[in-house]
Amino acid sequence: MSGTSTSSGGRPASEPVDWTVVLEVQQFLFSEARLLDACRYQEWLALLTDDVHYWMPVIENTLGRGAPHRFSPDRLAFFDDNLKSLRRRVDKLTNRTAWTENPPTRQCHVISNVEVEPAERGDELTAHSVFVHNRGMGERDEFTLVGRREDVLRRTEEGLRLAKRLVIIDQHVLLARNLNVFF
Amino acid sequence: MTSTLDPRSLIDADEGWIDRRIFSDPGLYELELERIFARCWLFLAHESQIPKTGDFVTAYMGRDHVIVVRKKDGGVAAFINSCSHRGNRICGASQGNARQFVCNYHGWAFGLEGELVGMPQKELYEATPGFDKSRMGLTRVAQIESYNGLIFATFDPEAPSLDDYLGDYRWYLDIVLDNDEGGTEFLDGCIKYDVACNWKLPAENFVGDSYHAQWTHNSAAMAIFGRGISPRKLENTFHATMNGHGWGFGLDMIGNAAASGHRIVTDYWRSRESAIAARLGKLRSKMVASSSSANLFPNFGFLPGHACFRVWQPMGPASMELRSWILVNRNMPAEVKDAYRQAAAFTFSPGGVFEMDDSENWENATRASTGVVTRRQRLYYGLGHNTREDHPDLPGRVYRNFFSDANQMAFYSRWADLMSAERWADVAEPSERDAAE
Repeated sequence: MSGTSTSSGGRPASEPVDWTVVLEVQQFLFSEARLLDACRYQEWLALLTDDVHYWMPVIENTLGRGAPHRFSPDRLAFFDDNLKSLRRRVDKLTNRTAWTENPPTRQCHVISNVEVEPAERGDELTAHSVFVHNRGMGERDEFTLVGRREDVLRRTEEGLRLAKRLVIIDQHVLLARNLNVFF
Repeated sequence: MTSTLDPRSLIDADEGWIDRRIFSDPGLYELELERIFARCWLFLAHESQIPKTGDFVTAYMGRDHVIVVRKKDGGVAAFINSCSHRGNRICGASQGNARQFVCNYHGWAFGLEGELVGMPQKELYEATPGFDKSRMGLTRVAQIESYNGLIFATFDPEAPSLDDYLGDYRWYLDIVLDNDEGGTEFLDGCIKYDVACNWKLPAENFVGDSYHAQWTHNSAAMAIFGRGISPRKLENTFHATMNGHGWGFGLDMIGNAAASGHRIVTDYWRSRESAIAARLGKLRSKMVASSSSANLFPNFGFLPGHACFRVWQPMGPASMELRSWILVNRNMPAEVKDAYRQAAAFTFSPGGVFEMDDSENWENATRASTGVVTRRQRLYYGLGHNTREDHPDLPGRVYRNFFSDANQMAFYSRWADLMSAERWADVAEPSERDAAE
């Protein structure tokens, strides 16, 4: 099994993207993170395209050399969502009987290492970033997850929108009791 | 650490009380590793995970870590993943294919059945009086057998055969394992995550706790169906239990499948109804993806219809690794398998809209049980003990109404029987218990 990332594999982007675009993408990712930190999920949903694919595969622990993060679309995942299922997740999290959210979950996304590349489609950009996600629950539960994201952002009349997100974490066994958040 | 607690005194099956120390006592946990996990048949893998010679997965049997390998003769071997020389772990991968397993420490190499095949400077060992290579293999499980695709093993040579261990539970297992002539397979991959709970809490949840769904999972039901899980027609729901295994179920055929959120999944089961009825009978066709949950003693739980099969892997008295796979019919259309793959993430997994609430309940119940005074209050498990009936078609001990503690109490009675017995021959026969009640 191998990753299906379209990443340029550590090489700098072949065609540099204009700095104003890089800043625009950074601003989008930072704002998006702030919405998630505040659990403003309906506003977050509005930043997604109708055909969004949100995918966080299970990272496999296998022998051999080659790419260290091993995953494949035909294997089980932590998230494998379209807009319909993401809306349902938000409906669940915002329902007054969502027991995990009462007391509310506190979270912070630290977004860094943003790189922007042209994507296959002319109206899209590929954005690489890393995240440190910290989550506090109840009196003293804390979960930290670090990972890398590969996004496809599409330029629309309303501005940039997220069309695809691949979330790649370093853990094989997820060291947390649940994932009541988005990355 | 040996517990001074008498396991039988902690389970009051007649009145329906559980002593909460079973969820927190370190001595009881150690005794469980000896008398439950080093003794019972434990789930290791599905045959489809290791189709070719040398294919392997690793698994836990209690705290013993084993390598499960497809042998050259087509059979399956399982042996402990610890070198017979200095004890180092041999295989660090969770799955793969190997011709042999070589220890990283001194390079001792073991074959596909755990036999020692060689080591650097082997002539030094050959010249050493008393060294016998044939006795230096990796410790093998005592018995290993498959049932309709699922591979189980036990470390106890005195354990009954897998068929006897499962008993009448096979009639129920066939509902998920044998409802199609093509048999079953696991989808590729396994979702694993840590839950800081005692392993028995999810086991008892799956063995028969249908009662929690309407409350714990209301938010998920609202998101998927636009309404809560309404009170069911309880007269057509049951608990069935035997040998500590249990199945709590309705006869609504597709209740669980509908909660996958994928129409194509319910359509698949509906389209198969008459074929399944012809194969397994009408009654079992109504159970194939119905509102139901099940647990095979001790720590293998599953949800028909959701297709998730999981091991509640103890990592300590208050620590568990949950490992979850998806079991599908081999002949299932690819788009239905894809729907199940997506549903695995959406429903029962750490990010699952259902299970994210379960894991919190299990952690918080475990944590509370460490309180000295807290655990003096026993927990009530008496609901439904008066609803037992003789059903003409359902094997095992059967209770009407799946809002019940009957299966949970049978699980804990089996637990107490095993925990109290020095050896298999001393374990109370569940059938004797049945007759006595």
